[in-house]
Amino acid sequence: MNKSYAEQFYYLMKLGRVFELRAKEEYMKGNIGGFLHLAIGEEAVHVGAVLGFGKGDIFVHYREHVYALARGMEPKNVMAELFGKVTGVSKGKGGSMHLYDPKFNFYGGNAIVGAHLPHAVGTAYARKYLGDTTGVLAAFGDGATNSGNFFEAINLAATWKVPVLFLCENNYYAIGTRIDRASPFTDLYIKAKEYMPVKQVDGMDVFAVFEAVREAKEYIETEGKPYFIEALTYRYEPHSMSDTGDYRSPRELKIAKERDPIEHLKRVGIERGLLTEEYINFVDNKVEQIVEEAVRFALESPEPGEEELYNDVFCEVCTDVIS
Amino acid sequence: MEYKIIMPQLTDTMESGKIVRWLKGKGDFVEEGEPVVEVETDKAVMEVPSFKSGVLVNILAEEGEEIPVGTEIAVIETEPEKAKVEKREEKPVEKEEKGVKKVEKESEEIKVEVEEVKKIELPEGTASPAAKKTAADLGIDIKKYQEKGILPTPAHEKDVRELYYSHFFDKKALEVIKTYNLSLEEVVKSLKKEKITKKDVENYIVENNIPQIVPVSDIQKRAIENLKKSLEIPVYHIYEEIKTGNLPEIEGITLTTWLIKILGDTMQNHYRTRARIEGDVYKVYPNSNVCVAVAIDEELFMPVVKNVNRKNLRQIAEDLKTLKDKASNRKLTVDDLSGSTFSISNLGMFNILSFDAIIPPGRVGIMAVGVEVKGKTKVTFSFDHRIINGREAALFVDDFKKKFTDKKYIQKLQKEAK
Amino acid sequence: MLYREALNKALDEMMEKDESVVILGEDVGFYGGNYKVTEGLYAKYGGKRVIDTPIAENSIVGTAIGMAIGGLRPVAEIMTVNFSLLAMDQIVNQLAKIRYMSGGKITLPVVVRMPQGVAKQLAAQHSQSLERIFASVPGLRVFVASDATTAYYGLKFAVSIDDPVIFLEHELLYHEKMEIEEEKNFSPYRARIKKEGDGITIVSYLKMFHDTMKAVPTVEKELGVSCEVIDLCSINPLDVSTIANSVKKTKHLVVVTEEPKTGAYADEIIYRVIEDTFYELDAPPLKICGEDVPTPYNRKLELMSIPTPEKIATEIIKWGKKHGI
Repeated sequence: MNKSYAEQFYYLMKLGRVFELRAKEEYMKGNIGGFLHLAIGEEAVHVGAVLGFGKGDIFVHYREHVYALARGMEPKNVMAELFGKVTGVSKGKGGSMHLYDPKFNFYGGNAIVGAHLPHAVGTAYARKYLGDTTGVLAAFGDGATNSGNFFEAINLAATWKVPVLFLCENNYYAIGTRIDRASPFTDLYIKAKEYMPVKQVDGMDVFAVFEAVREAKEYIETEGKPYFIEALTYRYEPHSMSDTGDYRSPRELKIAKERDPIEHLKRVGIERGLLTEEYINFVDNKVEQIVEEAVRFALESPEPGEEELYNDVFCEVCTDVIS
Repeated sequence: MEYKIIMPQLTDTMESGKIVRWLKGKGDFVEEGEPVVEVETDKAVMEVPSFKSGVLVNILAEEGEEIPVGTEIAVIETEPEKAKVEKREEKPVEKEEKGVKKVEKESEEIKVEVEEVKKIELPEGTASPAAKKTAADLGIDIKKYQEKGILPTPAHEKDVRELYYSHFFDKKALEVIKTYNLSLEEVVKSLKKEKITKKDVENYIVENNIPQIVPVSDIQKRAIENLKKSLEIPVYHIYEEIKTGNLPEIEGITLTTWLIKILGDTMQNHYRTRARIEGDVYKVYPNSNVCVAVAIDEELFMPVVKNVNRKNLRQIAEDLKTLKDKASNRKLTVDDLSGSTFSISNLGMFNILSFDAIIPPGRVGIMAVGVEVKGKTKVTFSFDHRIINGREAALFVDDFKKKFTDKKYIQKLQKEAK
Repeated sequence: MLYREALNKALDEMMEKDESVVILGEDVGFYGGNYKVTEGLYAKYGGKRVIDTPIAENSIVGTAIGMAIGGLRPVAEIMTVNFSLLAMDQIVNQLAKIRYMSGGKITLPVVVRMPQGVAKQLAAQHSQSLERIFASVPGLRVFVASDATTAYYGLKFAVSIDDPVIFLEHELLYHEKMEIEEEKNFSPYRARIKKEGDGITIVSYLKMFHDTMKAVPTVEKELGVSCEVIDLCSINPLDVSTIANSVKKTKHLVVVTEEPKTGAYADEIIYRVIEDTFYELDAPPLKICGEDVPTPYNRKLELMSIPTPEKIATEIIKWGKKHGI
């Protein structure tokens, strides 16, 4: 592990955390509407996976701000999207759950649990067909592993032999239902092990996630076959802003927070000489500025014009329509 | 620095929140992320944290108050040394009023701006939209005409147009229009006149060579069907002249009556003239049944005089009269029209010298009778070759012809008729 | 030529022309398609381009979406429209919305082909017409192919545009003999006036178009007016102007569809046309649809549940007489 990676981890995880805390505050002020799902506590999985995966297409779920930021999307454009402004990554038409940018091979942001898994398989098929062996990353939560989408997708990926990395973020809760109330076993890699190689990692340890994803990526690209990783993690916040989160005890929350991924990274990074207090302080100040700037940008950005209502429903050159 | 805690939006549908309980009091120190107050939303009771650390210097909302999202509810001084705890009673009242008012105001009726639009004016009455629109264009008061029974209810566009254009015509002109099934609108547009008379319409008809539409009656349709069938019959003709001048004059007995009787008697000696072909068999009937072409107005009927061989001239004349009356009154029955094997068509009364006739289907032949000239009458026989050949037919015609010169026979008929 | 062969020809030509066109679905490859629409394509283009899938409708559409994201132009076959209900999330939540939700950054040139309608005694779960559902989803183009001409040109058009297209066929048309009439500048966005007339405008599509054409001579004879028959090639978008212009001339509108009558797509056609022509109408529009029952197995009852040429003629004549035609 080199210094540069550790520094990137810290920058992106801290950016993600500060960004999301600020988003929560802006939501409470009424600047952000709808559903806001925060990934606070899960940053190690999101940042570790994106950096470990590197080049390739990424399909994720609706708790995706940190994925998008780690992938390189500008915080101000992501914040503007949350604010529903035209400068947002999806012109203010997608919102928090639908961040897309093909420039970064980033395809959402899907608000239907597990629905993006077949997309990832299809894209992997297409890339392979067109002679590109780069793998595809599909991240999803524990809840998705109980859906038909999941089983259809792993079956197809294994049958068609396409390079998809299935990354399950097991945070133990599907909204308010704990995993053991929805699945016969809580080690979710079991569900995929007859189809593909599987691995379980500590999702609060960004180094572990990074290494596991990097190895899996190498496997899927050399073998041209899928791979399954289960990352054990925890979300500190309720499912969304509308959720009280009272199905979890304060004690459970306290224990989880003691294993905070950012604190863990700081400690291990300094221990191993990969991070310095100086760098950490620099980043802490820097991300505050970046997020402050992102909010200012979002606030000052215009709303989409009325003409935007009908734009992008269909592709423009295809709308030779009489009606 | 002052940091203001506002009533947060805690759910996607929340518009206001109720202060359930203050978890911190004035003067208390609050950590970043530490809950300050419990708020009841539309979904649940939730804790509201402070996003900054500092001293809670002022509380602006009472427990139990309903506060709109975005309203300040507390103030935190982030630099504790500057903290100056304010008296609580001062501001909440103002906030309360402001808050409550705001909620009420938002529920007031909505205001919209609508640009001026022109109302579509339509006449009253029950009619289709198209009829109403046309009535509006043409200035027709549908309701008035419906009350008078002139327009039907509901009225359709055609009705309105007809009514409008009928005003251009006088009564007699309208009758002609109806006979010729003309479009009122077209006539008006063509003649370009305010008042159109019968004469105008008649001129219009001649100018445009418009045919009168005469329907084909059901009877004529059947006749046409029969004539078509007649074309399938292989036919040949025999031309003869008979001496009708020898026949004695008897009151009420016409030449046709004589011809029916003599033809019927002749048929008795020639069985093929009493036959019908049906598939593989001939059906030969014992009696001589003769049908006679009767024209009523423009329609043609072929009623049958039955059992001619067993009737005298008087009886035949009576039968003929009954059948003609029935034909005039369109009362002929299926029975009256069926069962004959030979036909007679007489155009002598129209001064026709000679002609040939088409065999009605099901008959062996037909005799076409011309006008009597100097005691002689030309007759043309048409025969169906499938039933009777030339030799047989020749014998039959010859036999028939000879009967007119058989004095004994004629006298017998004359005697029977008295 | 058969109707299904026109579809096959369209697919073959598009695959020949563009290597990014692929087909996927149940039994489409090695087996040749359950209605033989893809017959011969597996042999010609191989299993990489004519892709057999498991019985997983949701993922047939889902992977097609992924393929489009990855640079292909997939044509997904759902065996019948009845099974598309299993793929509704992918069709409605994904295929129709991703372009808009991404602010136009992602285009999905996906065609989902499927037959619909009542065939013969397939019973309730295999006899539905669901065009109303697809037509009501913003973001989907919905084409219908009534004959070999619209099947051939319509499908080629669908594959060539970058919008997602639901392409509806009819089970009973596959084995019908018909020819492709040459058309220049074909656009499914234009409705076709298949028979001109000035007394009644009749709109229909798929099998009902053929049944309407069978009913028309009797209607014309009985009512003494001529009918203008319009065949739709697309139901979203709907070519309102062609229908409205016809209705302005005839003042009478009839719509014939096979679907159950409540909430029928026919309602949408009628409403959209009335918006333009209310004051031109000389009678309330007539809607002839299927009955509000799950399709029965018994043939007699099955025929009672949908419009037939006889029923179409009877209803139009009755309506015409009632409203002064």
